Amino acid sequence: MPYWYYDKKDLQNTPSFRDGISNETENRYRKEGARFIIDTGSKMDLGYNTVATGVVYFHRFYMFHSFKTFPRYITACCCLFLAGKVEETPKKCKDIIKVAKPLLTDQKFSTFGEDPKEEVMTLERILLQTIKFDLQVEHPYGYLLKYAKCLKGDRAKLQKMVQMAWTFVNDSLCTTLCLQWEPEVIAVALMFLAGKLSKFEVVDWNGRTPKHNAWWDMFVEDITMDLLEDICHQVLDLYSPQTQQSGGDSPPETSTSKPPKNEKKPPSITPPASVSPVAAVATKPVVTPVKNGGETKTEPPKNGGVEIQLSKLPGDAVCAGLQRTTSWGRAAYSCSPRSTA
Amino acid sequence: MQNVNAPREPAPVLSTSSTILNMREKEKYIEDFDFPFCDESSKYEKVAKIGQGTFGEVFKARARNSSKKFVAMKKVLMDNEKEGFPITALREIKILQLLKHDNVVNLIEICRTKATLHNKYRSTFYLVFDFCEHDLAGLLSNVNVKFSLGEIKKVMQQLLNGLYYIHSNKILHRDMKAANVLITKNGVLKLADFGLARAFSVAKAGQVNKYTNRVVTLWYRPPELLLGDRNYGPPVDMWGAGCIMAEMWTRSPIMQGPTEQQQLILISQLCGSCTPDVWPGVENLDLYNKMELPKGQKRKVKERLKPYVKDPYGCDLLDKLLQLDPAKRYDADTALNHDFFWTDPMPCDLANMLAQHTQSMFEYLAPPRRPGHLRHHHHVAAQGKPAPVTDSGYQDRVF
Repeated sequence: MPYWYYDKKDLQNTPSFRDGISNETENRYRKEGARFIIDTGSKMDLGYNTVATGVVYFHRFYMFHSFKTFPRYITACCCLFLAGKVEETPKKCKDIIKVAKPLLTDQKFSTFGEDPKEEVMTLERILLQTIKFDLQVEHPYGYLLKYAKCLKGDRAKLQKMVQMAWTFVNDSLCTTLCLQWEPEVIAVALMFLAGKLSKFEVVDWNGRTPKHNAWWDMFVEDITMDLLEDICHQVLDLYSPQTQQSGGDSPPETSTSKPPKNEKKPPSITPPASVSPVAAVATKPVVTPVKNGGETKTEPPKNGGVEIQLSKLPGDAVCAGLQRTTSWGRAAYSCSPRSTA
Repeated sequence: MQNVNAPREPAPVLSTSSTILNMREKEKYIEDFDFPFCDESSKYEKVAKIGQGTFGEVFKARARNSSKKFVAMKKVLMDNEKEGFPITALREIKILQLLKHDNVVNLIEICRTKATLHNKYRSTFYLVFDFCEHDLAGLLSNVNVKFSLGEIKKVMQQLLNGLYYIHSNKILHRDMKAANVLITKNGVLKLADFGLARAFSVAKAGQVNKYTNRVVTLWYRPPELLLGDRNYGPPVDMWGAGCIMAEMWTRSPIMQGPTEQQQLILISQLCGSCTPDVWPGVENLDLYNKMELPKGQKRKVKERLKPYVKDPYGCDLLDKLLQLDPAKRYDADTALNHDFFWTDPMPCDLANMLAQHTQSMFEYLAPPRRPGHLRHHHHVAAQGKPAPVTDSGYQDRVF
């Protein structure tokens, strides 16, 4: 299996960079492509796993090809199309294009060519070869819930923290973090960040041993503070105004059909949650896990975050509830780890 | 993250669609791009067509860099696909990448043909597997191939080991049949063709799985599927294992119904009537009232299989696998612990027996097996077709 993690040096020397695209511009393209997958996926009621898988394909694809060769929005559609099939939530290609079109300016949509569906079909084969048919992708969501299950502390605060971390994971898709770190590490870091911002103190955790300095030592070895901060900053940078300005638009935008959802930029990255960075960026939670029934569905933005209604679960059921969440989190396709024999 | 302000920087190197490659340039790019992770299928040389999978043809091929290394290449048929790369093929790939076990066919890699103008810049893909010399249906259709009781035990033990492994990994095969059971010349059994396989979840209270029940080749299809169950699980494969086990002695599929209705009747005639008495809950299945279910049939599994099987432990295990009620059917683990595998003669290696047969035996290549029915002994004509000898020492019959 290919190794999908890169160090920062590799991430700067990409095919796009070698093709004359600055790192800032490439990062913006990646962000726009990822956001577009998230928006299109949400509109189609695709689950967060499908959306996240599509975004990871997208990031991996551009480690082998330049944004000049393959315009980002059609690649994004193709990634979502393939992810839909892989995650057992298939959507018809023409429906994806239908939903995607109004999200783009005419000029951007023109990169889809004369026969958008055929373009996506051709691109799918290139995508599959590029990602070496390494279809199954893991995401931080499941780990987030698994880790949260072990933390002890004020339950309301825990819930808030998990919601915030969830939103950070959504937003982290717009960064290249999935090309740098395993989902476990990202989950730890973004829970750490959410804990800080939501003032949730982890006093104790299940499974604690004297060897543990912090709760995450239980799950991932050798995580340094430097690493955690580096990851957190990559996500927080998404919310800082400067990074949103770099690079020209390609093609330049004359009009935007997108809702001007990011006009309100957060003045700072300090909580409380009412002005939390989360609210400004994650205008659209990808998907809300829960409601007691067990189906996933998209929800209108509610303070930006994802609502995990642990509080609605009866009695001592936070853990049980989280357990359940995890199981739909894996969507229809869930293979347990290689075992037995 | 929409940038609503005009860009502050001077227009960077690339700005508009003019920087995007035109069609010709892109085609050239695709043609020239050396995908580092996906080799060209030309590294293999096709030797013979050996079968027809769920979604495409299967070829035997030889690695060009080593005349000894043989593989099976399964073509991914995409001609009639409106939705691109078939979801069934994606499933199979995903599942095969997950499953690594001695009794599961090994996926080596996925290869592609070069994208050229000739194929409209669309590659064809092949799944490349380790080559197995035989399939069980092919072996059983050849009267010269004789299995001793110990050898039958070895076949079944490996088959159940494979099923135990895939079920532990939450995968249902859903197309168990003799033709999908491969055996190498060294006697190692491999479950193959995961084209219908899927992941399953253990149904929790208040949550019902909805899988299609139009799976499994009719003759190996368990009664719950025939009655429209959509919340099934590993027992569907165990029924198939039972049918295959019986076939080790009868040498042809034991229940060859021409229609779903007929298949149910054949099952009832062998395993008894499907009643809530022997199978609590059967009355709730969708088709329970829509299908004709023979009444008053007695269970005759042991009685009818005894003339073939003779070994009482074998008869007993068959009886446990061919249970109408999926909840009572043995799972792979329980079956592996059955006395059948732990009494004399113990399971014995197949390599010696197979060494006497130097011709690859695949059902695809074999003449159709006579419609066999229980109770009727039948004779399959020996096949004496000479074929070119290949480097592997095996003859490939090419039709």
